[in-house]
Amino acid sequence: MTPFELLEPQTLPEALALLSDDDAGIRPIGGGTALMLMMKAAVLAPTRLVSLRGLQGTLGSIAMTADGALHLGGLASLSALEHSALVAQHAPVITRAMTHLSNVRVRNVATVGGALAHADPHMDLPPVLAALDARVQIAGPLGTRELTIDELISGYYETALKRNEIITGVQIPASAGRAAGRCAAYLKCTTRAADDWPALGVAVSFLYSNRTISDARVVIGAATDRPTRARAAEALLSQSMGDATTLQKAGDALAAEVQFTTDAQGSAAYKRQLARVHLGRAVNAALAQT
Amino acid sequence: MTVANRTIAFTLNGAPVSAAIGTHHTLLEVVRDTFGLNGARESCGQGLCGCCTLIVNGQSVSGCLYLAAFADGTDVRTVESMAVEGKLSSLQQAFIECGAFQCGFCTSGFLLMSEQLLAQNPNPSEAEIRNYLSGNLCRCATYPEVIRAVRLAASRPQER
Ligand SMILES: Cc1cc2nc3c(=O)[nH]c(=O)nc-3n(C[C@H](O)[C@H](O)[C@H](O)COP(=O)(O)OP(=O)(O)OC[C@H]3O[C@@H](n4cnc5c(N)ncnc54)[C@H](O)[C@@H]3O)c2cc1C
Ligand code: FES
Ligand code: FES
Repeated sequence: MTPFELLEPQTLPEALALLSDDDAGIRPIGGGTALMLMMKAAVLAPTRLVSLRGLQGTLGSIAMTADGALHLGGLASLSALEHSALVAQHAPVITRAMTHLSNVRVRNVATVGGALAHADPHMDLPPVLAALDARVQIAGPLGTRELTIDELISGYYETALKRNEIITGVQIPASAGRAAGRCAAYLKCTTRAADDWPALGVAVSFLYSNRTISDARVVIGAATDRPTRARAAEALLSQSMGDATTLQKAGDALAAEVQFTTDAQGSAAYKRQLARVHLGRAVNAALAQT
Repeated sequence: MTVANRTIAFTLNGAPVSAAIGTHHTLLEVVRDTFGLNGARESCGQGLCGCCTLIVNGQSVSGCLYLAAFADGTDVRTVESMAVEGKLSSLQQAFIECGAFQCGFCTSGFLLMSEQLLAQNPNPSEAEIRNYLSGNLCRCATYPEVIRAVRLAASRPQER
């Protein structure tokens, strides 16, 4: 790795002041697990890294807000999510996803903010959080703003973040929580080694009462260049009983509406077929949680 | 290593130490090159294989992806801390008894990760062992022996 300046602010205003929207050589660093890979591969050679680790005390918490939302701090580690009783209670789909996300050592170091800002389409957390209607909280020099995952991740490794903005947290609204009756599941499908990037990730969530699905969310990851909602499939699932015929129709709709991409994990045609089949499996996995 | 531009102080295997580092150096480089502790090794260099496992403040990290600067003020442990006064830990003993290595390149990582697992979950099932150690690769494919060794160590009273 080429040398760089490493700054370690202890407060958010200090950190924001050290970043610059004009200088592509300056980056925030959370856990560094993704940045280190890019720097070692020499695809990235920053001149200055602004470590956010000094903000872990203030931005690392996991808590319920007054209005019943689950707040995940931008500097919370993925293993903190994995072991959080609040996460297990309010959004158990995240707890389950963690056990197959990367490995223990990476989860110990990687942060929520890094898992969102990196925007590699193969990552697991973005589709899961998108299916839970998560709002991403962002601080910049002019104040704060909130984006949905769909608004945040604008393309392949691309986000709507300015270079001088920091993800401070994520909120999962009460309406997307377990207590509101929302069921959710995330399935990923790896086609080579189990620890490889997936060819497909499918996150689903919906309300379920009187044996009827409503307000369904379906988000596809890995098979697309960014986490992608499948609204036609959502519409078919909503007001259905999640029966086999509906699942098949929704799988067909999903296959038709989503733009699949070809990469080392599989061709677009292959991923389309995987998605067609895995949507039903994901819905059944979510129903099994009821 | 070149261009040291800061000094970090931390605890290494129980002893307070300091080191002159470059901000772009990894903790693995510092542990090996500055302190001559060669139990942890760089193999994949990408967080996948676990050969570089180090324990920082009680948590496992991939030393190959961990900036040395981040270790300032922390407690760092390496595999060299496992045997106390020449006496192997029960986990190390179990690895030997089960033949849980061939070339041994991956062993320091498997030992430290297994130690972490047993600290969190004293009686893990085979599935739990497999999941926990899924980020450790053994090119000699001693996985069945490793699982047996972890279970053997779990079955014995901890004497350390
Ligand atoms: C071996 C290995 C296996 C992996 N397997 C998986 C897997 O199975 N599934 C999966 O989803 N992911 C996987 N990953 C990716 C992993 O999830 C990411 O590397 C990690 O989430 C990045 O978090 P970080 O804190 O380390 O980010 P960093 O490396 O610190 O930063 C990543 C990017 O985000 C920016 N950034 C960091 N924090 C913030 C913030 N708070 N605000 C704004 N920008 C920020 C940085 O500038 C950089 O551009 C794997 C990684 C490794 C090394
Ligand atoms: S060398 Fe660090 S995980 Fe393989
Ligand atoms: S014993 Fe040779 S790599 Fe594991």
